Amino acid sequence: MSLEKLLENPRVWRGSCQASARAGLASGYPKLDRCLPGGGWPQQALTEILTDQYGIGELRLLMPALAELSTEETHYGEQREPGWIAWIAPPFQPYPPALQQSGIDLSRMLIVRPKDDSDLLWSAEQALSSGTCVAVLLWPDKLDDQGSRRLQLAAEKGHSWAIAFRPLTARQQPSAAALRLELQSTGQGTRVHILKSRGGRPAVLDSLL
Amino acid sequence: MLRDTAPTAPASQQQLPFTEPMPLTRPLLVAPKQVRRLWFCIWLPNLPLEACGSSAEALAIVEEQHGIHRVLQVDPVAAAVGIMPGQSANAALALLPTLRLEERSRVREQQVLEALATWLERFSSFVSIAGKDVLLLEIGGSLRLFGGLPSLRQTLSKDLDAKGFSAAMAIAPTPLAATWLARAGRRACIRAEENLGPALRKLPLSCLDWSAGQCESLTGMGVHTVGDCLRLPRAGFARRFGAKRLLDLDRALGHLPDPRDSWRAPERFCADHEMAEEQSDRELLLQICRELLLSHEQFLLARQLGTQRLCFSFFHLKSVATELRLGAAFADRSAERWFDLLNIRFEQFRLPEAVIAVRLQSGLSQPLQAESAHLCFDNKAGTQRRRFSIAQLAERLVARIGDHSVNALATVAEHRPEYAWSVQSLLSDGSSSTLMACDGIVRPLWMLPEPALLPADGDYPLHKGCRLTLLDGPERLETGWWDEQGISRDYYTAVNGAGMRLWVFRNRQRTPNWYLHGIFG
Repeated sequence: MSLEKLLENPRVWRGSCQASARAGLASGYPKLDRCLPGGGWPQQALTEILTDQYGIGELRLLMPALAELSTEETHYGEQREPGWIAWIAPPFQPYPPALQQSGIDLSRMLIVRPKDDSDLLWSAEQALSSGTCVAVLLWPDKLDDQGSRRLQLAAEKGHSWAIAFRPLTARQQPSAAALRLELQSTGQGTRVHILKSRGGRPAVLDSLL
Repeated sequence: MLRDTAPTAPASQQQLPFTEPMPLTRPLLVAPKQVRRLWFCIWLPNLPLEACGSSAEALAIVEEQHGIHRVLQVDPVAAAVGIMPGQSANAALALLPTLRLEERSRVREQQVLEALATWLERFSSFVSIAGKDVLLLEIGGSLRLFGGLPSLRQTLSKDLDAKGFSAAMAIAPTPLAATWLARAGRRACIRAEENLGPALRKLPLSCLDWSAGQCESLTGMGVHTVGDCLRLPRAGFARRFGAKRLLDLDRALGHLPDPRDSWRAPERFCADHEMAEEQSDRELLLQICRELLLSHEQFLLARQLGTQRLCFSFFHLKSVATELRLGAAFADRSAERWFDLLNIRFEQFRLPEAVIAVRLQSGLSQPLQAESAHLCFDNKAGTQRRRFSIAQLAERLVARIGDHSVNALATVAEHRPEYAWSVQSLLSDGSSSTLMACDGIVRPLWMLPEPALLPADGDYPLHKGCRLTLLDGPERLETGWWDEQGISRDYYTAVNGAGMRLWVFRNRQRTPNWYLHGIFG
């Protein structure tokens, strides 16, 4: 039996193949891109960002990629329409002039403020699976394993990118996310710790931001 | 030679003693003879019965005549046990104690007739309600669209049947002739005006809707058919039976124009669904709402309209009605989409009591924005992936979590940070953002709803108990005298011990306090 034949067997699973099948979205931080499989943010998947603090660059980390997404025309078959970015339950008010400075198209922003966590998860799922949102940022109070799986599936279905911001305590919980990052502020800047990366390996990036 | 060139009058006209028409009592509109007019008449002889809807039990319609309730019409179930029109209500009940008796309601009949006229507008641009049980359609202009007369006739007859109406139909070049032919029960179809005379001549007087007294005196004179009437001297006929009757004959034969009022349906939809008894089964209520939405769709379809707002009212026996309002991002009529929204809302909707009736009212209707579909039909991948548009997503979110919870953002040309942006509803028109000049000024990605007062240690602000290090600044922002919300502040970029980058300012008015206004996310 030749090696090719053996590899065609559906029972043989190769991690590197899966990861390289889909190109990532360049994050705008070459140092980070080099550590991520596919050379950037995994698309059609859930990304978790674990942090206990605001103002340490958690949004700046995403801004180049989001700016790219909000202006780029998405190629969904023949439908040529720039994608929307949904913000679900942000902790503060996203400030439009600053977003505009970061290059985000404001006319493609959707702010959703749900009443509770079940509405939050429902809204996120709707937005992800609608096929109109290219990215959905959410700040859930609690997110269990099942919830993260739902988000992951919805992101795959709608070809969207889910970004969940969670506290550091969520580190011990299992999650279906394709990528989990931990953000911590050190004296020299913000350290990005890749906890989990589907098809890649964990890494620590000091003073990225 | 001379005979050949002379205009030939229609055969019926030659037989009339006087060829001049009667002087007109009022000016009449004469339609330009571009399209040959053809009138389709629908006569609903069983309207009193059919207006009550169909039911499994035996039903009889009664009407008060000289102080006694007499049976007017019966359904087949009641007729089978021997109940006949003309019987007294008591006699009918003696024959069948379980018989459902309904008082005749002219208002209800009129409503049903209007609903039918509204529905018929899809077949013709000119629908007219003629009398209490007759509908007229001008179909001369619709024939091509509906694939010819036989096909149109078949469609109409099938659809009326499905709606539960037994109708007599006739087609003629004049509205009155069509009505008479329908009343005579002839499935007549006369397209040429020349054939009208011979067909009408044979009609008995009973189908003319003339008063019983006049018909009786005509019968006494040995006049039994329309043809007999036409043979009478016109002047004498007009004197004895009124100019109106002679006008009827002239109009039926097409000698005189016969203008009709066109039915115009109301532009707002409002329909009720009443139930025999109170219901609290949510599935059933949803089903009723769905039916109402379907008729709502038909209503709007006939007008090429859509609506953005809908209101369902659930009526209870003992308390005031509960209302459920729905909003859509753009005008639409699709029952499927409205039902989808209703489903989302209905999940969290509580009804205090059982429901006896449901009403659906539509908001202001507006012309629909037709959307171009894609020419490529085989583009499956694209259509599957894209389930709904942003507007549909927004209205689904609004339906579940509320109107003010889903917003879009825009910038405003304004130097004061708290006024430099605005929240916009997604369900309104497109947002208009002013593009700000980015001349090196820094703004934080997170904004606090209100500036938060910071404690101070001498000249330095404190955050979470430790001194802030000022990195950048000051940037002075001041004035706003035009709306009395003036500011005078020095803004700094600061960093706290934990590495958080903050946007703080020191007030230059009144007390020089420090405030936290934003966070550099």
